Amino acid sequence: MKEVKVFQQMYRDGQVTRREFLSVMGALGLSATAAGGFLASSSALAATPNRGGSVISASNLHGPDDTLDPIVCTSTIDYIRQCTSYNGLIQIWDNMSLHPELAEEWSVNSNATEYTFKLRKGVTFHDGSAFSADDVLWSMNRHLGKDSPSSIKAFFAAVVEWKKIDSHTVKLSLSSPDADMPIKLTQFQAKIVKKDTTDFSKGAGTGPYLVEAFQPGVKSVHVRNPNYWRDTGQHLDAIEITAITDPNARLNALLSGDVDMMTVLSAKSIKKVEETDGVEVMSVPAGLYGGICCLKNTAPGKDDDFVMGLRMIQDREKIVRSFLKGHGQVGNDHPISPAYGADHCNELAQRTYDPDKAKWHLNKSGISSAELFVAPVQGGIEETCLLMQQNLAKIGFDLKLKKVPTDGYWGAVWMKEPLNVVTWNMRPTANAMMSIQFGPGGNWNDTFWNNERMGKLLKMSLAETDPAKRHEMHCEMQTLVHNDAGMVIPYHTNVLDAKSTKVHGFSNVPLGQLGGNGWAEFIWKDA
Amino acid sequence: MIWRALFGRLCISVVTLFVVSVLIFIGTNLLPGDVAQILLGQMATPDSLAALQAKLGMDQAAHVRYFMWLRDVATGDLGFSKAGLGAGNATPIVQIIEPRIFNTLQLTSMVAVIAIPVALFLGLLAAMHPGTRLDRTITFSTLNLISVPDFLVATFLVLVFAVYLGWLPSIAYLRGDETGWGLIRALAMPTLTLMIIVSAQIIRMTRATVLNVMSSPYVEMAILKGVPRRRIILRHALLNAIGPIVNVIALNLAWLVGGVVIVEQIFAYPGLAKLMIDAVLVRDLPLVQACAMIFCASYVVLIFIADMASILSNPRLRYPK
Repeated sequence: MKEVKVFQQMYRDGQVTRREFLSVMGALGLSATAAGGFLASSSALAATPNRGGSVISASNLHGPDDTLDPIVCTSTIDYIRQCTSYNGLIQIWDNMSLHPELAEEWSVNSNATEYTFKLRKGVTFHDGSAFSADDVLWSMNRHLGKDSPSSIKAFFAAVVEWKKIDSHTVKLSLSSPDADMPIKLTQFQAKIVKKDTTDFSKGAGTGPYLVEAFQPGVKSVHVRNPNYWRDTGQHLDAIEITAITDPNARLNALLSGDVDMMTVLSAKSIKKVEETDGVEVMSVPAGLYGGICCLKNTAPGKDDDFVMGLRMIQDREKIVRSFLKGHGQVGNDHPISPAYGADHCNELAQRTYDPDKAKWHLNKSGISSAELFVAPVQGGIEETCLLMQQNLAKIGFDLKLKKVPTDGYWGAVWMKEPLNVVTWNMRPTANAMMSIQFGPGGNWNDTFWNNERMGKLLKMSLAETDPAKRHEMHCEMQTLVHNDAGMVIPYHTNVLDAKSTKVHGFSNVPLGQLGGNGWAEFIWKDA
Repeated sequence: MIWRALFGRLCISVVTLFVVSVLIFIGTNLLPGDVAQILLGQMATPDSLAALQAKLGMDQAAHVRYFMWLRDVATGDLGFSKAGLGAGNATPIVQIIEPRIFNTLQLTSMVAVIAIPVALFLGLLAAMHPGTRLDRTITFSTLNLISVPDFLVATFLVLVFAVYLGWLPSIAYLRGDETGWGLIRALAMPTLTLMIIVSAQIIRMTRATVLNVMSSPYVEMAILKGVPRRRIILRHALLNAIGPIVNVIALNLAWLVGGVVIVEQIFAYPGLAKLMIDAVLVRDLPLVQACAMIFCASYVVLIFIADMASILSNPRLRYPK
């Protein structure tokens, strides 16, 4: 097939036309379909973006609560729309790297309590008005205060004030050090809106696409912003964003070409996508996980041996192989997967399936039965619990599974029943993830595990700028959670989506679906 | 006489609507979590939850909220979607519902216009040739189709026509500017699904009713007189069977109202039924109530038509002693 490669190269370089390419392939004895396949892969390799066309993106969930107001958005479909309408100060892109967006550059003082942002000049909102420091102040202040409905309020708890230095410079002062602040500013909720906006349904930000129509629970249509401030391609003429709630209907829509990309592919459907021409799986290793919460303030979770028994009984390799079909990694009973990069603790030994030790710990705890509340909050969690039930039965422990619906789960079961299941999306930083879930007295400390040392380490690591020392602190935190908290984390799942092979240019940011949701201005579609 | 029956029906309908609204309200309240909790989801804090609940009026007792809703509805005000308010889109429910009703009506009327004539024709055809291979084929296939749940029919059709053959889109995704062929293409799959299920029932009932009439003494008389079979069915039997058939059609259309809930969901069709499901998922009570009331009202009206048809077509019911 060396000839094929040579001709692919020639096609890419424009030395042969499509017709010539196909006829040569025919001469080589290849069928039309096979030749077409080589052509398609050639153009993918060519990576010369095609300008024009439109795509339809299908998420998994939408409804009357769809919103274009950044601070209250909580679902994938909202996130995608934020990235078409608005920009943030800073942007996260391939391999979790930070890039200046509306902030041209930023600097921080030595103890990470003061940030200065130089804002970009010559940026305009969709309505033609100019972007300035006032807009940043107004947007960021919406996250502050007791009554703020912001869903990432916790990230800005230490903010003392956002101050305008001049029309294009703002200064942020913090009451305690936070070296992670730039990463937190990349969140979808932290996008910049125009000062004094009251009607967010117009989505009139500074972003790459203009809102042409927005119908919550139905769809939105976005067209290219001709006055966009930067050249990122904006290859597509138009983007339609909708959701298909039924997983099979969503998959069928992709397979039959009615939509160009879909979010949340179930592990069961991976094979179907892989064996269908024209579509492919997008699988990005992430920090996303499913786990079992044992509340530490009540029985049986307050018994350390009971929790350790549940950890030892997890057949992690099998879960990843059978339930996640290989699209995931074994968990080590703490949330910081290798996807968090330098903050992941390589040194911590991987816990493995050990029924004997599990039996020893459970015997020591004196507990012989328990009831676990299970809802399909995440692909793989139900199967994991069933496997755990079987393996516990083998060592004489009776685990009852109480199946409940996902609908209403977060209000009625999670953080209420002594044993329940949970899923956490990846957070932009290891510190953010740890403090949300394990910060002593935190709002979402879902195992009610209050560890003083943990609280200290969380604060210290935020102020630490020496990478080695910082890594050491993170290792200590991960070890604490790994051994002492009430969490059992058997696996991390990849972010799994699927798309047409005609669409290219997604990033690999594991913080959300479809390469982190921010694809609108970067992707293109083959003609 | 007719007027009295009509008035009685009307009163019962209003009571039915009221009872349904109470049931829906209680049912939705029994579901875990309220709209504020669902909107905030996993990221709810006691502070933010209380703030949002107060903003949406969810801090009042359930019965108070119900009567406030009832008062507003009595004055013709459906209010705002609570989920929308929570997400910062203050859109009146009337505005949300309007395009959805249009879409659902578009779908159901397309089904009715095609399914009813086809079903009547096939039903009559079976009745005209009872016991023949034709009759048995029709009976066999309709019985099968009645037994298959609609979501299965839908999935099967998608597999065949969208995934394997690639003739039709797998979702009824409306852009809003479709006309003619484009619209027919978009609506084809959900229409086909509903048609299959609705017409199966009508075919069975038409056949049964006509055959029933065919065994009555006056038809026997006509046969003995030597009237041709075709003429007996079309001229004598069918006219007498029309009451029950209209009844069946109306009942099936009422059933169609329920069927669209599943079909709209599977084909992601932006109709009223899908809106109601989405609203239930976020516990958006005023929106759920509004949709449920519309469904219930259309059901009541269709049942009413069914009743009236049987009364009008039957002299014994028309002039009770």
